[in-house]
Amino acid sequence: MHAELVGQAQRGDREAFDELARMAGDQCMAIAFRILRDFDRADDAVQTALLTAWTEIRALRNPDRFEPWLHRILTHACYAEARRRRRWTEGIRLISVEPASGPDPYLTVDDRDQLERAFRRLTVEQRAVLVFHHFLGLPLPEVADRIGIPLGTVKSRMYHAKRALQASLEADARASSSQERMA
Amino acid sequence: MSAHRDLDRLIQSFLAEGPMELPDPSYDEVRDRMEQKRQRAFIGPWRTSDMNRYLKIGLAAAAVVVIAVVAFNLLPGSSAPGGETSASPSVSPSVAEPSTEPSTAAGLPVGSSFMLADGQPSGNEIGSLAMTVTIPAPGWDGEPDDGILVKNDADPPDGSGMIVWAGVDHLYVYGDPCDWSSTRPETPSTTVDEVVAALAAQASRDASAPVDITLDGYVGKAITLHVPDDIAYSAGEFTDCDQGKFGSWSMGTTDLSPHRYHQGPGQIDEVWILDVDGLLVVIDWTYYERTPADDVGELRAIVESATFGQ
Repeated sequence: MHAELVGQAQRGDREAFDELARMAGDQCMAIAFRILRDFDRADDAVQTALLTAWTEIRALRNPDRFEPWLHRILTHACYAEARRRRRWTEGIRLISVEPASGPDPYLTVDDRDQLERAFRRLTVEQRAVLVFHHFLGLPLPEVADRIGIPLGTVKSRMYHAKRALQASLEADARASSSQERMA
Repeated sequence: MSAHRDLDRLIQSFLAEGPMELPDPSYDEVRDRMEQKRQRAFIGPWRTSDMNRYLKIGLAAAAVVVIAVVAFNLLPGSSAPGGETSASPSVSPSVAEPSTEPSTAAGLPVGSSFMLADGQPSGNEIGSLAMTVTIPAPGWDGEPDDGILVKNDADPPDGSGMIVWAGVDHLYVYGDPCDWSSTRPETPSTTVDEVVAALAAQASRDASAPVDITLDGYVGKAITLHVPDDIAYSAGEFTDCDQGKFGSWSMGTTDLSPHRYHQGPGQIDEVWILDVDGLLVVIDWTYYERTPADDVGELRAIVESATFGQ
């Protein structure tokens, strides 16, 4: 990100912030979708995060850290979005599955379905840690920095998330094989 | 799917799929909404910048000024105590546009309401909620961008003031406010009880027993904290404390430094924490032993006048 644009935005330059938003927006959308597993919710979270960044940008002391700072705001926006939607739609609405950008030959259709179900069972905080680590490829200390939590918490969430994913996948596999036996 | 396949590889492949672009209309929407948003000024917890002083003068000229709004856009409506959701907020404050005309009078008009925040969630506040207070006496100044209301700059030896965070979901309460950099807990406090318990356990605070409170129908707890009288302090710094600050809590920023730090030895903090629909509202009203009793009474009246709404 360009520190100069950040400086201009901090002085109230909307054009400069618009440019920053366009530079960061796609990646924010990719992150938010993968945390929330819903396109519309992710869109809302990104818009909220960008607006919060605009109002709060004067608090950013190091312009070179715009991107990590924005990602922290985005993560909180995703938490809020997940919480809000959970309250509004508790037990009613299923999260929609958005079309994938492109199939990965490593995954079968069954894999995707099972992973989608397993992923949705995780907490939004656990998903965030997985996304920053496995999607953005950040090392765990950097994940802690971006999300704004201690490293120990990141490790704990990662451990529990992967354990829960593994358990979900194994349960699905057991259910599938027993159905096959009954068929 | 084989349970033996590499889980990391599966996660990576799964996450690689999905949208990678924010639609153009979303950028346009952000741009449009930016026009209605004011950038927040960032200053020390009780200080006022020249720009905000000018704004304050303008605010003083307004017949009605409205305090604290903090978002509640997480929810379609606010909740009554007991957790039942209602379709409308418990209070609907009338919001007046601040006057831009300068005034020769300093301070907020007696009897007016005051806008402490503009209702836009900050990096720490994740929701927007309106909170309005009434000014009972002359001499009170406010920082609408920072959730702050003060008399005599809230500084030692006789100032007083309050600062509010509304709509936050966690606080990292330090184990030791003087040694805060190494005593931040691994996990944050996320409920009223957890926050109060953590504050009560802080070193050197001589904390009171927490008591139940209700403010505008919302329940919570209050606790009184003290900064030690004999703590080393010079030229605005707690000289034996980390970075010269005596800090109570952080709200999860990357630098882990205090969001609430204190202004001098002997400072008394009345911390009121409310649960508003699952989010925390933290009101810290503070004074000193030499603060006039009338000022303390006014401050209490201001806090007790708080009403919440969208």
